[in-house]
Amino acid sequence: MGSREEIFEKLRANTAATYDYPDLGPLESEALTYSDRAAAFCESLTEAGGRAVTAPAGTASEDLAAFVAQTLSVEYPGVRSVVTAPGVDLSGLLPEEVKLSAVGDFQSPEALDGSDVAVVRARFGVAENGAVWIDDFGKYRALLFIAEALVIVLDRNEIVDNMHQAYVRNELQAPRSFGTFISGPSKTADIEQALVFGAHGARSVTVVLV
Amino acid sequence: MKVGLFIPCYVNAVYPQVGVASYKLLKYLGLDVEYPVDQTCCGQPMANAGFEGSARRLADQLDEKFAGYDYVVGPSASCAVFIKGHYQELLKDKPHRCLSEDRVYDICGFLHDVVKPSSLPASFPHKVSIHNSCHGVRLLGLSSPSERNIPYFNKLRNLLSLVRGIEITEPERPDECCGFGGMFSIEEDAVSLAMGRSKVQRHMATGAEYITGADSSCLMHQEGIIRREHLPIKVIHIVEILAQGL
Amino acid sequence: MSTMHSRAAAGFLKDGSHAQWHDDTLWMVRQKRDRMSRRLPEWEHLRDAACALKMYSNSHLPELLAQFEHNATANGAVVHWARDAREYRETVLKILRDHGAHLFIKSKSMLAEECGLNPYLEENGIETVESDLGERIVQLMHVKPSHIVLPAVHIRRQEIGRLFEKEMGTEQGNCDPTYLTHAARKNLREIFKKADAAMTGANFAVASTGEMVVCTNEGNADIGTSLHKLQITAFGLDKIVPDLRSLGVFTRLLARSGTGQPITSYTTHYARPQEGGEFHIIIVDNGRSDILAKKGHEKALNCLRCGACMNTCPVYRRSGGYSYTYFIPGPIGINLGMLRDPEKYSDNVSACSLCMSCSNVCPAKVDLGEQIYLWRQDLDSLGKADKIKKAVSGALNTVMKRPAVFNTALKLAPMVNHAPRPLVYAKINTWGSGREMPRFATRSFNSLWKKGEVK
Repeated sequence: MGSREEIFEKLRANTAATYDYPDLGPLESEALTYSDRAAAFCESLTEAGGRAVTAPAGTASEDLAAFVAQTLSVEYPGVRSVVTAPGVDLSGLLPEEVKLSAVGDFQSPEALDGSDVAVVRARFGVAENGAVWIDDFGKYRALLFIAEALVIVLDRNEIVDNMHQAYVRNELQAPRSFGTFISGPSKTADIEQALVFGAHGARSVTVVLV
Repeated sequence: MKVGLFIPCYVNAVYPQVGVASYKLLKYLGLDVEYPVDQTCCGQPMANAGFEGSARRLADQLDEKFAGYDYVVGPSASCAVFIKGHYQELLKDKPHRCLSEDRVYDICGFLHDVVKPSSLPASFPHKVSIHNSCHGVRLLGLSSPSERNIPYFNKLRNLLSLVRGIEITEPERPDECCGFGGMFSIEEDAVSLAMGRSKVQRHMATGAEYITGADSSCLMHQEGIIRREHLPIKVIHIVEILAQGL
Repeated sequence: MSTMHSRAAAGFLKDGSHAQWHDDTLWMVRQKRDRMSRRLPEWEHLRDAACALKMYSNSHLPELLAQFEHNATANGAVVHWARDAREYRETVLKILRDHGAHLFIKSKSMLAEECGLNPYLEENGIETVESDLGERIVQLMHVKPSHIVLPAVHIRRQEIGRLFEKEMGTEQGNCDPTYLTHAARKNLREIFKKADAAMTGANFAVASTGEMVVCTNEGNADIGTSLHKLQITAFGLDKIVPDLRSLGVFTRLLARSGTGQPITSYTTHYARPQEGGEFHIIIVDNGRSDILAKKGHEKALNCLRCGACMNTCPVYRRSGGYSYTYFIPGPIGINLGMLRDPEKYSDNVSACSLCMSCSNVCPAKVDLGEQIYLWRQDLDSLGKADKIKKAVSGALNTVMKRPAVFNTALKLAPMVNHAPRPLVYAKINTWGSGREMPRFATRSFNSLWKKGEVK
């Protein structure tokens, strides 16, 4: 008998009482919500060590890229290389000395090492924990983790209250090869519980709410 | 209502005044209270050490003694909870049981939830630090466990607030274990002592003159440390405070 | 009356200031957890839901695992089954050998620890590097993790500074955590790039999507798996969850309970292999299916491995992870050790004052303290009961079952108050090692009552 069958047989033999799937409805409807989700998101993100920058109300959609570029220059002065993910176009918006490339231009994920800033779009954000959901953008998801800093563009109308709402969003139901919730920069407290940002992934995360 | 006074073995031997105060207090509150004579032990020390079998006979004995009482009330949260939580299982082979779990009370829970006195003649012009004992807190619900997200309540504090002149505090880490734990205190003596020392230190840091609580066992352990290290704090069971002036 | 745990704990406590620091550090984590849990009015209902979901999934394992396998295979992953630690190790090695891999980078996995993966791979010529900072520290020190979430929580920064001087060429005497963390980042980044394959454990395996979900703060699992075409992810079969909706519950509890954060920095869902790569998933039993049949202990399978029970345990905090003989310490480790091999790991059962804090802190409501109580009842029949403890219990029982004997004892006991100190405080009396003996009353309650003196 193969291991698979052996395991299944033991599981079947050893399962005594069975329990039903619980009714999660009451919990999901009583779960914490926020009157101003964008504000709550910004607060949670700040607590997670990230930064939130909000585009002024009334910014025209064609000016949003310029606002992202401007934020990038303000938050990361002296940046030398910027890599953008699909859906982000900053061409012509950054100073000349900044090397701008698209993640698709790279030949290997290792080649992304040394990128100063990655600019990516998130599908939605979560107010209770400052996380954003990012899924497939073609080649080299390594960009999300290997760049020194991460600038994430998020539509401020796409913020849910909590993880219950997050996991029933349409984006989550679609098939994917990969997806991740990112809440603030990479961090560790493995040395004497002292909090340090930039353990392996991005040292800093800025979410631009547009 | 007929109340049977349950006196745990070590209270009987070491802290009889706690038993006396319990009796006086219940009597003062107008209860028909009796002490079924020749009680010994509820069986908890053996069971917690891993010898539940030895506890069975004692459970049977105690069960027998309290037949005919409406309530079983004793000045020890830990022993009360042992009876409540384990006797049903221990005595499952008996034809009929005289003790029913919901009639067994630690005296604080009984006063707070059943008798509900609105005043007491007691006066105790001292600062006391409440010792929230593990089984009282987490198994009997004498106060809100610090781990849980439920509204704060503390039945000991409520009862003590009936006493004139008293100042009530709780230590930092208000319900961390003091390290008694029955035979744990002997088998794991180093850890037990470390726990006890830090507990006493935290009670002292409140500036209290007394540590008070619903479990003489925790107080006995802390008193052992206090006496060994000549620390400037005393222990007193909560009923001794509540029965002041009786 | 002692156990391997109690003796090791006494050793740990000899360095008073270190022990105090260890206690304070972990208590701080417990407090962070408390603050997080109090922000959610629905906290207790979340715990109820997590427990109910685990009870559901652990009682439907064959269906859920089959569904997972089906979906993961449809995603393009290769699913392997391992009945025990040996099969798991051999499967990992075979996958690595098939791909000619020599340098293997891992993120934290308690399953790998449980199954002794690293030493096995090293023996077989595969260089294996831990990428989680805490795991890397203990790996370089050639010691085991002392906590399941905070593996290096027992080590002071000065020691880590000295270690990194030797291993990574950091500045002499510099033990600033930020400096050391960034030195490790740089050092490991090069290894990440050079490695041939990456491995992760898993926090959740989602039956309805066939995905693996990995939660980290450092991003090490993500860097490893996104740089390499070969990804191996292994999980103990109790990590299965039915669907995404249930993750709404678990992801809200895990980091809040474990480290006191609303969520980990990264909660990553791995579904398909990277373009042109391979994704191997190993489903491991290694005794988990036996736990299902252990009456009174089934809920041990609810464990999310958040570590909250360790942080709250007053015994763990004051005795350190190494005082336990099982590789997982603390309340959950006492239980899992006994479930693994009760004869081998019975020394940990003493490490509990039955304070029940663990049972109240656990996000999936594992009845940890209650199960330890049950294990104590088993020790005697296992032949593992402490002889003195048994004798003391027996003697107590002899006295207590006969009121007349008890009454005589009550009468005689006060004599102990006046017995010569060296006799009372002899070494065998561990109570007396740091405490004065209780003073027996000259008149017991029984005697006062009988004389009508209780009024």
